[in-house]
Amino acid sequence: MIRNYFRIAYRNLKRHKVFSIINITGLAIGIASCLLLFTIIRYELSYDRFHPGYQHLYRVVTEDKSADGVFHTPGIPFPALEALRIDIPDMQWGALFASEGSQVTVLGKGETGNTPEKRFIENSGFFFADPQFFQVFRYTWLSGSPAVLAAPNNTVLTKKTAIKYFGDWKQAMGQLLKLDNTVTVKVAGILEDIPHNTDLPLSIVTSYETAKANPSTYFYSDSWGNTTSSFQIYASLPGNIPVARINLQLEAFSAKNYKDRKRAVRTHFLQPLSQLHFDKRFGTFGDHVTAMGTLWTLGLIGAFIIIMACINFINLSTAQAIGRSKEIGIRKVLGSFRWQLFGQVMGETALIVLAAVILALALATFSLPFIKHIASIDETLGFLNWGTLFFLVILILVVTVLAGLYPAMILSGFKPVLALKNRITSAQIGGISLRRGLVVTQFAISQVLIIGTVVAVTQMKYVQDADLGFAKDAILVFNANTDSAFHTRQKTFSGELKRMPDVAAVSFSSDLPSSGNNWTTNFAYDHRPDENFGLDIKYADHNYFSTYGLRFLGGRGFSESDTTREVVINETLTKKLGLTDPTQAIGKEIRMGSQPWKTIVGVIRDFKTNSLKEEVRPIIIAENRQFYWVTGIKLKSADLARTKAAVEKVWDEVYPEYAYTNNFVDDTLAEFYEQDEQLALLYKLFAGIAIFISCLGLYGLVSFMAAQRTKEVGIRKVLGASAGNIVYLFSREFIILISIAFLIAAPLAYYIMQSWLQDFVYRINLGLGVFLVAIFISAIVALLTVGYKAVRAATANPVKSLRTE
Amino acid sequence: MLLNLKGIFKWVQTGGARTFLLRDINLTVEEGGFISIMGPSGSGKSTLLNVIGMLDEFDEGEFLFLEEPVHQLKEKQRAALYKQYIGFVFQAYHLIDELTVYENIETPLIYQGIKKAERKALVADMLDRFNIVGKKDLFPTQLSGGQQQLVGIARALIGKPKLLLADEPTGNLNSSQGEEIMNLFRQLNKEGVTIIQVTHSEKNASHGQRIINLLDGRIE
Repeated sequence: MIRNYFRIAYRNLKRHKVFSIINITGLAIGIASCLLLFTIIRYELSYDRFHPGYQHLYRVVTEDKSADGVFHTPGIPFPALEALRIDIPDMQWGALFASEGSQVTVLGKGETGNTPEKRFIENSGFFFADPQFFQVFRYTWLSGSPAVLAAPNNTVLTKKTAIKYFGDWKQAMGQLLKLDNTVTVKVAGILEDIPHNTDLPLSIVTSYETAKANPSTYFYSDSWGNTTSSFQIYASLPGNIPVARINLQLEAFSAKNYKDRKRAVRTHFLQPLSQLHFDKRFGTFGDHVTAMGTLWTLGLIGAFIIIMACINFINLSTAQAIGRSKEIGIRKVLGSFRWQLFGQVMGETALIVLAAVILALALATFSLPFIKHIASIDETLGFLNWGTLFFLVILILVVTVLAGLYPAMILSGFKPVLALKNRITSAQIGGISLRRGLVVTQFAISQVLIIGTVVAVTQMKYVQDADLGFAKDAILVFNANTDSAFHTRQKTFSGELKRMPDVAAVSFSSDLPSSGNNWTTNFAYDHRPDENFGLDIKYADHNYFSTYGLRFLGGRGFSESDTTREVVINETLTKKLGLTDPTQAIGKEIRMGSQPWKTIVGVIRDFKTNSLKEEVRPIIIAENRQFYWVTGIKLKSADLARTKAAVEKVWDEVYPEYAYTNNFVDDTLAEFYEQDEQLALLYKLFAGIAIFISCLGLYGLVSFMAAQRTKEVGIRKVLGASAGNIVYLFSREFIILISIAFLIAAPLAYYIMQSWLQDFVYRINLGLGVFLVAIFISAIVALLTVGYKAVRAATANPVKSLRTE
Repeated sequence: MLLNLKGIFKWVQTGGARTFLLRDINLTVEEGGFISIMGPSGSGKSTLLNVIGMLDEFDEGEFLFLEEPVHQLKEKQRAALYKQYIGFVFQAYHLIDELTVYENIETPLIYQGIKKAERKALVADMLDRFNIVGKKDLFPTQLSGGQQQLVGIARALIGKPKLLLADEPTGNLNSSQGEEIMNLFRQLNKEGVTIIQVTHSEKNASHGQRIINLLDGRIE
């Protein structure tokens, strides 16, 4: 009997080729999309879950509450480490201190290592840690043990890093490295490579004692007043102690250690390791934090797509049901029970779903590299794992039930006499209104997705084209971890550069005008007590203003001198100080932290200090060459590549022992929005797929309608209807359905996108335009789909359609 | 003279051979005639009716309708011609299930571009005449076969055609319903409507003035 069913199912698929292709393609694309989204979501959720006992691991984070608002940082003052060990001994506390952009020179067994191939800039993965850190996180040691990190000048490499430095990790032990041209360290351990799904992407870990021994190179400070997000403390909690108890102890700990703080109330608390990757309030050492909302959105899109594919299936199968009524009638007359017929239809559905899954796997495998690229997953991910297989099995079951249940109930419920006499009409299969409802659902979903995509894309374009308030084109930047040797040659370097005809300006500074970093200090203005809000410091030389094209509202930049007492502030600061006219600040004095008083000589027009998601912050620009990590070179050549090469040559002459890395400012800025860009791309992609699936369904439905209404079209033509009348007859209904769908989709999309836009301080307005675009697109798409079939139906010869009886 | 067929041939190509559906049909119908076409299944009765109704093409011969050479007319002109002068009645009624009785009868007028007020008057007249005013808001499935065929005829007559073509109009009806329809046809014929009907039944055929017997596409 089963064989018989399969044969019938197979023949049915073959006979109704168009419907089968639409069904299988639609389902396959839907399943493939779900599979890919599942892979992305699963990857994001898997962050740092590979650590043994990750449920008991925590990070100590910091919250500052002040009149300004609440600030969060994952950083903690350096002395807190020892204090925590004394005050809360129940926990195991481990320190992890990152240094971004540090240079590693491979000395090997003692050569000088001044060849460029032996120098590496480690933009991430360069850490200092103490032995306790490796008791909290139990990594696999291929060689050595955590104990080696107790001593200064010992370092541990991951296998991959060791291979990068020495070619063979087994040769690495005992060899020498020079860090930031300052410290020579010995390789004393090798770690097994760390999976990509971690926010602790260790590649070289030097003993914490080494950083403490070189405070000026690594900005280590014994003060409780300094907090950097680069220094974080991780901890493991014994299973029998509740987190709440430790958090209470941390509250007492904070009260005790920060009682002198005026500006803000500081509290530390524990953040579970499993939340690191999803909490946007705090950063991580990894390359991105993904909000849970984003994962929910992606999951929702996946659900939408699979629902749309199932709707197609239901629509087409119920539509086809009339054609199959005779077979069902005969089977019933021959003695089939209802449940047997039910089983038969479900079986057929399962067969189609299975075929779709096979096609989907091929599609997904084919597109996975592309998806990995745009979702920045670099893990060697595939579909051959238990999680994915489990997901697939669930998906097959859900889709089969979702898609097959209704058609199976309808078909198996046919009255045999009516079915045999061909007197099953669309009214009996609950058909038209149900199908209309489903089509409205589909249109509504795809319109929500269109609106969402249009808004996301417009917003991203707005961000890219926004006036940042400074020039970002053709500026080349280098980052270098500076030391005194570097500073003494800075003058030579800029002198050499200025002699090149293609260089317009050179500036040294602590930061770009716009960046993700901020360096905050308390301050006093005009000999008043400290203000109740903080100030962002950017240290820069006098060329900063011309290099980045900053515009003055009043006053001037500071003069060229190494010991200037002049500073420049921005418009926002004057506003926050309550000045009615920004130029009132000129000539007044200002004091950062406990530094000497300095004179304000200029006020610059606001530029975007951070990402456009944030407001402009109050800024002070002052000179202090000790912090000039960033070199900005404004180029005027059309041949940027050639100039870049020339600049590199000068660098190599002036700084032979420093590795050369550079970037253009606009690229650096683009990184700010990379994740939003990628999300926008993902949304676009999957919205496109959803629209395509709904078109498939629409096409199938119209084909069916055309087939079913052949008789009606024939009669109308005999009665004198023109082709135009018939096309109108078909299209009118879909125009109405689209309009109903729009009434549902527009407010929903408005609500969703309005809350998405709240993320951006600088954002577009949700105008009528976006919504018009959405309804226009879906109307055009629908009419094109419907139009083809309608014209075919309208031009058919009525004699043929009326002869059937 | 209403229409004139001269040497009409119609065939389908099957492999190398032609299968003839109509063979050398010569037929003249005067205005006010009532003609019954008879013949066994597959003899070409319906095909001939479709050709006369301009729903189907023929391959050879001449067809004059009200002096117009139909075989030379363009599709559009032909459509205009039959829209104006010909009404159809089918064995299976071919009413539109989704429309009410009233709307079914009204449909041809819409396609002729007649204004709403005028349509209303015309349909009301027709409902009145066929005694189905009370059923005007019902759907075809709510009517008996005889009633459905009445609606079908009403719809065919609403455009005031000169020629009524009926393809086995009583085939799906019982004998008393069939008798009623035939009486109606005779009545209409008296009022001046030319009727050509295809029928299996000798009795029905006898209502007409003239019987044409078809066999294998040829007039006997």
